[in-house]
Amino acid sequence: MSKVLKFVLNGMPVKVVAEPQETLLQVLREKLSLTSPKCGCNHGDCGSCTVILNGKAVKSCMIIALTVEGKSVVTVDGLGTDGKLHPVQQAFHEYGAPQCGYCTPGMVMAATAFLNENPNPSYDEVKDALAGNLCRCGGYQKYVDAVMAVAKGEFGPIPKGSDVDV
Amino acid sequence: MREYFYEAPESLDELLGLLQGLNDEEVKLLAGGTDFVPKLSKELDEIPKEQKPPLHIIYMGNTGNNEIKEDSDNVYIGALVTLTEIEESNLIKQHLPVLIQAMEETAGHTVRNVATIGGNIMNASPAADSITPLLVLDAQFVLAGIDGSRTIAAKDFFTGPGSTVIDDKEVLTTIIIKKGKGKAAFKKLGRRKAETLSVVNAAAYIEMDNGICKAARLALGAVAPTAVRCYQTESKLVGKPVKPELIKEICSGVVEEINPIDDIRATAWYRKQVAPVMLERAINQACSEE
Ligand SMILES: Cc1cc2nc3c(=O)[nH]c(=O)nc-3n(C[C@H](O)[C@H](O)[C@H](O)COP(=O)(O)OP(=O)(O)OC[C@H]3O[C@@H](n4cnc5c(N)ncnc54)[C@H](O)[C@@H]3O)c2cc1C
Ligand code: FES
Ligand code: FES
Repeated sequence: MSKVLKFVLNGMPVKVVAEPQETLLQVLREKLSLTSPKCGCNHGDCGSCTVILNGKAVKSCMIIALTVEGKSVVTVDGLGTDGKLHPVQQAFHEYGAPQCGYCTPGMVMAATAFLNENPNPSYDEVKDALAGNLCRCGGYQKYVDAVMAVAKGEFGPIPKGSDVDV
Repeated sequence: MREYFYEAPESLDELLGLLQGLNDEEVKLLAGGTDFVPKLSKELDEIPKEQKPPLHIIYMGNTGNNEIKEDSDNVYIGALVTLTEIEESNLIKQHLPVLIQAMEETAGHTVRNVATIGGNIMNASPAADSITPLLVLDAQFVLAGIDGSRTIAAKDFFTGPGSTVIDDKEVLTTIIIKKGKGKAAFKKLGRRKAETLSVVNAAAYIEMDNGICKAARLALGAVAPTAVRCYQTESKLVGKPVKPELIKEICSGVVEEINPIDDIRATAWYRKQVAPVMLERAINQACSEE
């Protein structure tokens, strides 16, 4: 039995019809044509579907879409400002962290939500923050190094409001 | 395809009323969804062999019970509190640090951000990482029904893998934990460091007096159909001086109290080898820095 779902996606209010059994990942990809969150496993294991929900990184394949009613969802598409990449995106790019890139949007979202709450992390804390994101190309080291570089300010200040709450 | 319905009641009363009205129908309570949604996705991936009855998914996220509170004797954790909220709570840090230890080893951040403590308990997995600490903390679970609520001790709550004494018209609302005098510790052995279920986990609560163990509560997870309180081993410990050699010897006997199986994570044989070691480590930590 479908229902109308209203939430804020990358700062914009959206309205979409969703089925009770549909996940947020399905609604984003199949109904809103936002294919940046990837479906690696669909069972909560790989993290390629990570988005920021009300400020927290979550795996969107495990969120029933209708539960995000009235909440705020941010994907990589909502991060950059005025044609400029977000520092985390810029760092991943310059460190050459992505190889095939499939895990990258999830990595960006997990790292961004983490840095918003922990601007001065240790190396081990960054590893821990990305532990739920698998990279089948095995590029973990560069992802963690890049996040550390962002934390040290190498890529400029992190813009406020990238995790806009409703 | 199976038919699915969705409701998001705005209060506990509304939720309990809804449950009353759904008599011959299948109902699924939804908290964080980290146990339920992967199972649902699996069901949707498979070609159904039989037509299943419609499923009513009832979202609990707007029904309250999402706070951690205290009074002079107890800490009260709402069933809808997320694992991240427990991990970050000053109140828990002050009174029940063992829960933080357990949460930090449960799944990863992105799961803990949505997973709830009530979901971890009600999923009733023998490997659940909150259950062994709650057993040794002697936690009480409050179950609410339309005619009022009842309180059940954690040690009497679990009846098998995925099953508890809860009635299908009841919901878990609160976990009550007495502020104890002793110290507790949790140890987990997984196949990896993060995002992995326990091969074996252990928790210990110890009260000491001048080097003598005054009270002990011990529990092991993933070694039987439910998490196990190790009563015999506890009784061997009480009244004894807590010396590392003695703890080791006492823990070796715990294999008599467990009944592990072979599964995808480990064999029964391996679990019998490591269970005493994990318990010994938990006890040693609970006895340290007194
Ligand atoms: C990648 C991954 C890693 C994981 N790692 C771990 C781990 O290391 N350790 C571990 O213990 N678990 C782990 N889990 C399992 C899961 O995340 C936890 O059990 C979690 O706490 C479940 O909570 P939830 O709110 O998401 O539950 P849900 O899926 O919403 O619910 C679980 C069950 O409990 C019932 N329920 C929920 N709340 C209530 C209530 N208040 N009253 C009555 N019934 C209720 C539901 O109907 C359902 O049957 C992992 C899961 C994933 C996907
Ligand atoms: S697709 Fe969501 S965790 Fe793998
Ligand atoms: S870059 Fe290929 S999966 Fe991570």
